Amino acid sequence: MDILIQLFPGISSLFIQDPIIAVGRIALIFLGMVLAYLGFKRTLEPLIMVPMGLGMLAVNAGVLFLDTGVTGTLMLNPMVSETNELMTIMQINFLQPIYNMMFSNGLIACLVFLGIGVMSEIGFILARPWLSMMVAVFAELGTFVTIVIGYKLGLTPGEAAAVATIGGADGPMVLFSSLIMAKDLFVPIAIIAYLYLSLTYVGYPYLIKLLVRRKYRGIDVEVVIPDVPAKNKIIFTIIVCTLLCLLLPVATPLILSFFLGVIIKEANIEPFQKVLETTVTYTSTLFLGLLLGVLCEAQTILQPKVGILVVLGIVALTISGIGGILGGWVAYLISKKKYNPVIGIAGVSCIPTTPKIAQKIVSEENPYAMILPLAMGAGVSGLIVSAIATGVFVSTINMVGG
Amino acid sequence: MSIYLYSLMCYGLTAAISFLVVGMIVLINKVMSRKSSKSEA
Repeated sequence: MDILIQLFPGISSLFIQDPIIAVGRIALIFLGMVLAYLGFKRTLEPLIMVPMGLGMLAVNAGVLFLDTGVTGTLMLNPMVSETNELMTIMQINFLQPIYNMMFSNGLIACLVFLGIGVMSEIGFILARPWLSMMVAVFAELGTFVTIVIGYKLGLTPGEAAAVATIGGADGPMVLFSSLIMAKDLFVPIAIIAYLYLSLTYVGYPYLIKLLVRRKYRGIDVEVVIPDVPAKNKIIFTIIVCTLLCLLLPVATPLILSFFLGVIIKEANIEPFQKVLETTVTYTSTLFLGLLLGVLCEAQTILQPKVGILVVLGIVALTISGIGGILGGWVAYLISKKKYNPVIGIAGVSCIPTTPKIAQKIVSEENPYAMILPLAMGAGVSGLIVSAIATGVFVSTINMVGG
Repeated sequence: MSIYLYSLMCYGLTAAISFLVVGMIVLINKVMSRKSSKSEA
């Protein structure tokens, strides 16, 4: 019997561990399979979900007995903080160096943001600057409602703020804020955020159809994208980056990463642009997905607060979606019916997903309507607003309950 | 500070900074465009 236990520790450990953990492991193995399959089917975002699903099932299946007699894996241990232990474990767990050097310090989030910056067209904001920003501010509603609900449900102010940033619909931002404000919960918060962000492609079209009647969905809009010279874009990128870093020093890594990406694109530095658009963005996304999956160990996930986070994540994204469309309606009224309220959903950010959803819904009603540039403008504005909201939270969160 | 007041304050601050940013972008774009059209003339 002992030989069998030693020979197949992945299976035998299921009978030795706490039954709740064992059942959790089996459930997570199946969840990993489902996520990887749905990623393959393109129901969920494949770039994140395929590596995440595989990582999740591998970490929960590949449990073995370590020298100390306890169960563990050879992937990574997020709980190690003592220096000597960390140095030893880095030479054993194959993903530990990447976790400590790239994930737990937020570098991976910054690298993804750098890629987003390179792919963003800041000139789109100038098509309808004030309306785009107004819609984006409305679409941040979920963040500020969820922090209140989270706090009232018993989370600490930092935890409530970190989970609330899911309402900003930017994965790197959620990762960054939870690392700073809710270190103990950053794994479940990040996983829930990426899972829900993948689901926006499925859920938001229903929300739009619910809140915008068919005859309004097909409204065509006049889009005049000003011909902004690259020099102007570079100058306002430099000034806005400086201004935001001065106002929100805690969000400087993310702000710098995003605007560095933007300026590399506008300055047309092709070697950097190529490497950032492809190698850096996709390598970071691959490891981000894999690490998120590997962090889904039953012991980490089965915390009492995770149930609350699951609810709050969906609440944040839903309220932000409603807020965005509400902003779209306000923009429609302000512009004397020359704005399609569907564009509001793009203010939630999550670019390029939400602008694409907006264009798809509009095209279903009116194949000749082109709202994508305005939706991208709202999306880029949403990204800036999310960064500002995160910075404001991180800077001021100690004011709550004082 | 109560959580309600804090949330409102943060929303207000976020909105104010966001509009400040867009105001800067619009202003710089206008100034730069005016300069370039003057130099063309």
